[in-house]
Amino acid sequence: MMLPLFIIIPLIAAFLITLIAGKKDVWGIVLSVVASAAMLILAVISFLNVNGETIIYEMGNWKMPFGIALVLDSLSGYMLIIVNLVALTAIIYSIQYIRHLGQDFKYYALFMLMLTGMNGVILTGDIFNLYVFMEIALFAAFALVAYGCRAEEYEAAFKYAVMGSVSSIFILIGIGVLYSATSTLTMARIAQTVPNLSPQIILWVGGLFLAGFGLKAAAMPFHAWLPDAHSSAPAPISSMLSGVLIKVLGIYTITRIFFNVLDAPAVFLTIFIVIGTISILISGFLAIIQWDFKRLLAYSSISQIGYILLGIGLATPLGILGAVFHLFNHAIFKSLLFYDAGSVELALGTRDLQKLGKLGKLLPVTSGTSIIASLAISGIPPFNGFFSKLIIIIAAIAAGQPVLALLAILGSILTLAAVMKIQCYGLRQDVDVEPREKIGLGMNIAMISLAIICIVGGLLVAPGIREVALDPVVNVILEKAEYVQTVLGR
Amino acid sequence: MNSPFILLFVAVPAIVALVNLFLPVLLRKLLNLLSSLFLLYSMIDVFFISKSAELLRGDFGAITIWGQEIFSVDQMSLFTLFFIQILAVIILIYSLKGVQADAQKSFYALFPLTIAACNGVILSDHAISFVVFWGLSGMTLFLFALLGRTKESPATAVKTILIMGGTDALLVMGLALMWVLQGQASWALSALNTPVTDGLSWLAFFLVLSAAFAKAGGFPLHTWLPDFSRDAQVESAALLPASLDKLLGIYLLARIVTTWFTISFILNLILMTLGAITVITAVMMAMNQHNGRRLLGYHAVSQVGYMILGIGSGNPVAFAGGLFHMINNTIYKSNLFLTLGSVEKQTGTNELDDLGGLARNMPITFIMALVGALSISGIPPFNGFFSKWMIYQGVLETAKTAAPGYQLWILVCLILAIFGSALTLASFMKFLHAIYLGKRPEKLKDIKETSANQWIATGALAVLCLIFGLAAVAVPLKIFIYPAMANAGLELPAFSGLYQPILLLALFLIIFALGMIIYVITKNVRPDEIYLGGMAPLEKFRIVGTAFYNEIRNMRGLKGVYDAADKQAFDAYAVGEKSSLALSRLFQKAHPGLLQLYVLFIVIGVVVFLIVL
Repeated sequence: MMLPLFIIIPLIAAFLITLIAGKKDVWGIVLSVVASAAMLILAVISFLNVNGETIIYEMGNWKMPFGIALVLDSLSGYMLIIVNLVALTAIIYSIQYIRHLGQDFKYYALFMLMLTGMNGVILTGDIFNLYVFMEIALFAAFALVAYGCRAEEYEAAFKYAVMGSVSSIFILIGIGVLYSATSTLTMARIAQTVPNLSPQIILWVGGLFLAGFGLKAAAMPFHAWLPDAHSSAPAPISSMLSGVLIKVLGIYTITRIFFNVLDAPAVFLTIFIVIGTISILISGFLAIIQWDFKRLLAYSSISQIGYILLGIGLATPLGILGAVFHLFNHAIFKSLLFYDAGSVELALGTRDLQKLGKLGKLLPVTSGTSIIASLAISGIPPFNGFFSKLIIIIAAIAAGQPVLALLAILGSILTLAAVMKIQCYGLRQDVDVEPREKIGLGMNIAMISLAIICIVGGLLVAPGIREVALDPVVNVILEKAEYVQTVLGR
Repeated sequence: MNSPFILLFVAVPAIVALVNLFLPVLLRKLLNLLSSLFLLYSMIDVFFISKSAELLRGDFGAITIWGQEIFSVDQMSLFTLFFIQILAVIILIYSLKGVQADAQKSFYALFPLTIAACNGVILSDHAISFVVFWGLSGMTLFLFALLGRTKESPATAVKTILIMGGTDALLVMGLALMWVLQGQASWALSALNTPVTDGLSWLAFFLVLSAAFAKAGGFPLHTWLPDFSRDAQVESAALLPASLDKLLGIYLLARIVTTWFTISFILNLILMTLGAITVITAVMMAMNQHNGRRLLGYHAVSQVGYMILGIGSGNPVAFAGGLFHMINNTIYKSNLFLTLGSVEKQTGTNELDDLGGLARNMPITFIMALVGALSISGIPPFNGFFSKWMIYQGVLETAKTAAPGYQLWILVCLILAIFGSALTLASFMKFLHAIYLGKRPEKLKDIKETSANQWIATGALAVLCLIFGLAAVAVPLKIFIYPAMANAGLELPAFSGLYQPILLLALFLIIFALGMIIYVITKNVRPDEIYLGGMAPLEKFRIVGTAFYNEIRNMRGLKGVYDAADKQAFDAYAVGEKSSLALSRLFQKAHPGLLQLYVLFIVIGVVVFLIVL
C-alpha cells in the first residue's frame, strides 16, 4: 500500500538526517532530495491510479471506527502532487540558499518534518489525527521561520506561534464539541451523523473551525501573522508557507471539513464569499504600498487565497473548478516569486525595492522568471493564472454575481499593480547595484522549472486534460456525500 | 471550405518566435523575413491572384480544436489580416538594420510573437481564444516597452501592462456577461448579438468598449500611448501603437457596433462625443510636446478620435470612413514614426529642440516624412483627406436625421473634429520645421542620409499614402472596406463616386499657383543677415520649431489646463494610482505590527462569526 509512505518517508528522512548528518549538510541534502523526489513520483502515480475512486488504508489493520484510516481520493492526490512538487523545488533551491545562513542539517530535518505534517493532514481520515499532523507541520514551520536567527525573525515566529496556537485552540474546541455530539472522530462517520445533529451545533462548530482554519489559510481578518512570518522566513520556506502550507492547513481542511463532513451549509458559503472578497480587496490595497519585496508577496498571497475562497464559496462546478485550479497555479507562481525574492536578496543583499535595479542584466534568470510569474499571478494570458481567474470570474457572473466579478477584477488589477511595482524598480537602469554572490545552478533550476509550469500550466483546463486532472478533484468537493459512501460503504 | 490555411497565420509566426529564441541574430532576421513574406504573399494571393476572397462572402473556413470552433474568417477579418501582414513586412524591412544592439535578440523573437497574437485576435471566433490572443498582444506590448532604454522605460512598461491587463480583465467580464445574457448558449463571437437595453447589457457594452479604447488609445484610456512612444524602441512604437494596436482596437470597435451589440442612438452619441474629445484633447497636447516621439504619440491618440467618431456615428458612410481612416492612419503614422526613427538613429536624439535643418542632410527621409505629415493633416490628394472627408460627411448625415437638440450636439462634435484637423496641420508644421527646416545646429552638419532598408520601408509607406489617396475608391474602399461592410450587414454608401482626386489635385495646384503669384507680385521684403543686439546671433538664439505654439500654451484659460495636464491631473492612470495609494495608507495604519491588536482581530472575527451564526 502506498498511502502510509507519504508520511513514513519524510518522517524517516527527518530522523535519519538528525542521526547521520554529523556537522555537514550533505546527507541532509541527499536524503531530502531523494525523499521529496520519491514522494513526488509516488504522488503522481497515486493520483493517476485513483482516477476518481477512493483508496483507503487502515493503519495497523484496525477497523475503521476504532483505528485511524488514511483516505486517498482525487482531492488528496491533487494536493499531494502540489505539496511535493513545490517541496522538491524548494529543497533544490535551498542547497545554495541555506548555506548562506550556515551549513546545518537541522534545516532539512525540520523541512522533512513539516512535509510529514502536511502529507498527514492531506491523507488522514480522522479529525483529531488531522489536528495532530497540523500541529507537527505548524511547529516545524515556527522553527523554520525563525531559522535566520535575527531579531525580526524571532519576532515573526513568536507572533506566528501565538496566533497559530490561538487558532488551534478554536479548532480543538470545535473537535471536542463535535466529538461530544457524535462520539466519533472519523470524519466519514461524523459526516454520517451530521444530518441528525441540531443545526445550531453545526453552525457553532463551523464558526470555530472557520476561525481556526481561516487563520491557517490567512483569510482576512485572520491574516495578520502572515506578512511577518512569510517575509522573515528563509526564501524557500516562504515559498513553502505561501505556496502550500496555507493551502493544506487552510484551504484543503476547509473544503474537506465543510464540504465533505459538514455538508456545506449555505451560510458558510456566503461567509466564504464575504471573507474571500474582503481578502482580495484589502490585501490587494495593502500589497501595492509595501516596499519589502517579500512582504509585498505575502500580502498578495492573502489576496490570492481570497480568490480561492471566492470560487469555493460560489459552490458551482465552475467556481470550484476555478478555485481548485487557482490553488495549483498560486502554489506555482507564488513559490516562484519567493524564489526570485530570495535570489535577489542573496545576490544584492536587500529586499528593499527602492534599492533594487538592473536585475535584467545582473540576474537574467531571476528577472525573466519573475516577469513570467508576475504576469501569471496577475492573470495575463497565456500563463496559467489567467485561466483560473478567468474561470472564477465567469463562475461569479454565471452565478448571478456580477458585482463580485467586478470586485475580483479590481483585485486582479491591484495584484498586477503590486507585482509590477517590483518590475518597475527592479528593472531600473540608473541605480548603482553591485552583486555580492552568483546565483548557482540549483536555484536557477528551481526557478526555471516553476516558470515552465507557469507557461504550460494553462493546458490543465484544456479539454481532454481537464477530465483527468481537474474534474475528479472538483467532483470530490461537489459530490459532498460521496465521501461518506466511498469511505464507509465498502 | 475547411482548410488549415488560416491556422498558418497564427502557427507560422508562433513557431518562428519559438525557434528564434535559440538562433543567432542573423538567422532570426532571415526567418522573420521569410515567414512575413510568406504570409503577405498568401494574403495577396487571396485578394488578387486566386481571388478566393471573392468566393467567400461568408465563411472562409474554420479551424475547430477540441470540438470548439476557434478560428474563422469573414471579410472584415480578412482585410484587417491583410494590413497586419503589409505593415509587418514593411516594419520588418525597416528593422533589418539599426535596431539597438543589446535589444536585437529579444526584438526578433518578440516581433513574430506579436504578429501571431494580432493574427490570432483577428481570426478568433471563440471568446476565450479572443481574450487569450488579445491579452497576449498586450503582453508583447509590455515586453517591447521593457526593451526601451530610457530612464522611464520600466515605469512606462508597467503603466502599459496595467492599462492593458486591466482592460483585458474587463473584456473577459464583458464577454462573460454577454454569454450569460444570451442564455449561456455559445462562446462563438459570430453568434453574439446583445441588444443594449438594461443595466447589465450597458455594463457589458462599456466593459468590452474599454478594451477597444485602451488598445486603440481612445480617451480616457489612452495615456499609455504617448509614454510608450517615447520610451520604447522606435520600431516597436511604429509596429504596435501606431499600427497593429490601432487595427486591433478599431477592429474590435467595429465588431462591437455592428454585430456584437445592437446599440441605441444614445450610445452613438456617447461614442461620437468620446471621439471628438479624443481628437481635440490629444491634438492640443501634441502641439506643445518637445519630444518628437511623444508628439507623434499624442497624434496617434488624436487620430483614433476620428475613427471612433466615424464608426460610432452609426452612419454607413462614416463607418466606411472610420475603417478607411484606420488603414490610413496605420500607414502614415508608422511612416512618421519610422522617419523620425531614422533621424534619431543618425543624430542620436529625438528632442525637437536639438534638431533642425536636416532636410539638406536627409532629403529622402524628409520627403517621406513630408508625405506622412501631409497625409495626417488631411491634405489632398493624400489618403488622410478622403477618409476624414467621409467621416465628416457621414456625421453630417447622422446629424440631419437627429432631433434638434442632438443635432446641435453632433455638430459641436463635428466642429471640434474639423478644428482638430486644422490643429494637426499646425502641429506638423512645427514638427517638420523643428526637424527638417529652420537653421541647422552646428553639431548636426555631418549627418548622413539613413540606410537603404530604412528609406525603402518609409518610401513604401509614402507610396501607399499616395495610392490610397488617388485611388481611394478603386483600391481600398472597393476591394477591402465595402465587402467587409456588406458582410457585416451594412448598406453601402452610395455617393462615393463624387470623389475626383485628379480634379481635386488640379484645384489644389491652381490655388497653390495663385498663392505663389500673389506672393511674387506683392513681394516687398529685403532679406538680410540676422542681428541680435548688433551682433551675429549665437547658436543658442536659434529659433526652434517647438516655440511655435508657446502662445497657445500660455494663453489665459488654457495655461491652467496645460499646467494641470503636465501634473497628470487628467491621466486616469495617475489619478487611480494616487487614490488607491491613499486607500492603502489607510489600511496600512491598521497593521502596526502589534501582536495584541492582531489577536484582537481574531477574537473580533470569531465573535462576529458566532453572532452571525
